[in-house]
Amino acid sequence: MTEISFQQEFEIKGGDFVRAGEASCEIKNLLKELGVAMQVVRRAAIVSYEAEMNVIMYAGSGRLDLSVTSDRVQIVVDDRGPGIEDVELAMSEGYSTATPEMRELGFGAGMGLPNIKRNSDIFKIHSKVGRGTRLEMTIRTNGHRL
Amino acid sequence: MIEAPRHPLKISLEKCIGCVHCLTACPTKAIRIKNGKALILSDLCIDCGECIRFCPHDAIESQTTSFTDLDTFRFKVAIPATVLYGQFDNATLPHEILFALRRIGFDHVYELSTICELNNAAIEAYIDSHPRPRPLIASTCPVVVRLIQHRFPSLCDLIIPIEPAREIAAKILRANLPRILKIEPAEIGIIHITPCPAKMVSINYPISMEKSYLDGAVSIRDIYNPLFQAIRQSKEDTLMCQLFPETIFSGIGMGTALSGGETRGLKNHRTVAVSGVRDTMRVLDQVEMGLLKDVDLLECMVCPDGCVGGPLAVENRFLAMSRILRLVNLLGERTVVDSSDMSMLYHKDFLSFRHPIKPIQVPPLDNDPDRAIRKAKRRINLIKKLPGKDCGTCGAPDCKTLADDIVRGQAVLADCLFVKEKK
Repeated sequence: MTEISFQQEFEIKGGDFVRAGEASCEIKNLLKELGVAMQVVRRAAIVSYEAEMNVIMYAGSGRLDLSVTSDRVQIVVDDRGPGIEDVELAMSEGYSTATPEMRELGFGAGMGLPNIKRNSDIFKIHSKVGRGTRLEMTIRTNGHRL
Repeated sequence: MIEAPRHPLKISLEKCIGCVHCLTACPTKAIRIKNGKALILSDLCIDCGECIRFCPHDAIESQTTSFTDLDTFRFKVAIPATVLYGQFDNATLPHEILFALRRIGFDHVYELSTICELNNAAIEAYIDSHPRPRPLIASTCPVVVRLIQHRFPSLCDLIIPIEPAREIAAKILRANLPRILKIEPAEIGIIHITPCPAKMVSINYPISMEKSYLDGAVSIRDIYNPLFQAIRQSKEDTLMCQLFPETIFSGIGMGTALSGGETRGLKNHRTVAVSGVRDTMRVLDQVEMGLLKDVDLLECMVCPDGCVGGPLAVENRFLAMSRILRLVNLLGERTVVDSSDMSMLYHKDFLSFRHPIKPIQVPPLDNDPDRAIRKAKRRINLIKKLPGKDCGTCGAPDCKTLADDIVRGQAVLADCLFVKEKK
């Protein structure tokens, strides 16, 4: 028997701060309707929000693909942005390339990627300078963290 | 007293014509039109009273305590919300309003602004002794508490476990009045006077304690006319001021009738004050996504501009606000509550919740995860079939909600007039 999964994709426009968080909010509400445990919803909301914000802040455009099965929530975010030169550095807490304008808006504390990793059970990042970045996050819904 | 319903809002079948005003106004999509009349879905209703504001036919009734119900008590005490001070013209002073309450039949009137100040101080003490988590959320508005339980369950731990001023005031009275008056506790009726339909629920079905200290809530709407008449008469009563004992009012406490009333006094903290049910939901969404972590206190009031915008108030909120602000300025920022009294009550847990606020699980699409996922997929396909006009003629507030009702087995696709016509 094939696994039943729910899939939905969200377009994210770079620089669109006005609609920032809409995709994450929709994901959060959907997971609640699917009966996913409260703490899992919370983690998925934080993960998708941070990833969504990364696209809005740094990339021209991007796509978020959500896939939910009875045992996991998967969020994949692909962007056509500048890419990350040093992934290891970007993953360290406090490191940020945010502009002063972004910092004024309260972003750019250098916690985005570390926060995404911390709230995911499986986290993968692929980035190519000049091409874009792909983040893959999986959160198990059975309540047990890895 | 009469057994109270779980929700204070009731549709009058005589007055309701089945239009769509309440349907679209409801922030939690808890109303449907069935058989030509509005129907409130009790699992989804948070008692905010938005529907009352939007109904052009006055068909949504709020079940508060009626004035005649009070006769069952031998000794009646009124605890009016400070919003009441803004309901009459500028020449009517707070103590005249309190006096008029006695004239219309209350044996005692307990002034709430000092307790509101006490409550603010207790909130500050709680924030200071709990450096984490953030943002803490004030629990004064009962609709916000219910909203969090239902829609933002993961935020329940952020609610500050301090009872609201009205309950503290009633608790103080309960503890002292039977002894002072030498009558049975059951013979004393302690009644809140309020602009809020949700207070009745918080009294009949308390969340943070076994039993409310209040016996009922009378709406400002219901009491307005007798009070107005009594105030007019008492103006001619020259002895009135001498007859009425000195009452101490608190400017700080008075301000809690308005949005920002709990945050204004917190000079050394980061605070955010939100009012209005939709904006409150927006901000709580952000908190759930991990934002506002640098904010110490988040004050949310679901009525526009705070309790002063409550649906059961009479005076328009801008006038009421201006009057209350005038009183706040007149009374100034001096504290009337002794800080050692507050500290004593706080540390004796006199002000705290008896038990924590627990999340309420809103029914998912299906209890079986696989079936829930199937229903969600079906819902997406249904949304594509619907016109997206959100006209409300199917009885659901919008096409998305109709799709949701269909997969939950509570509606059929043919309820949509546009789909029906195409066939």
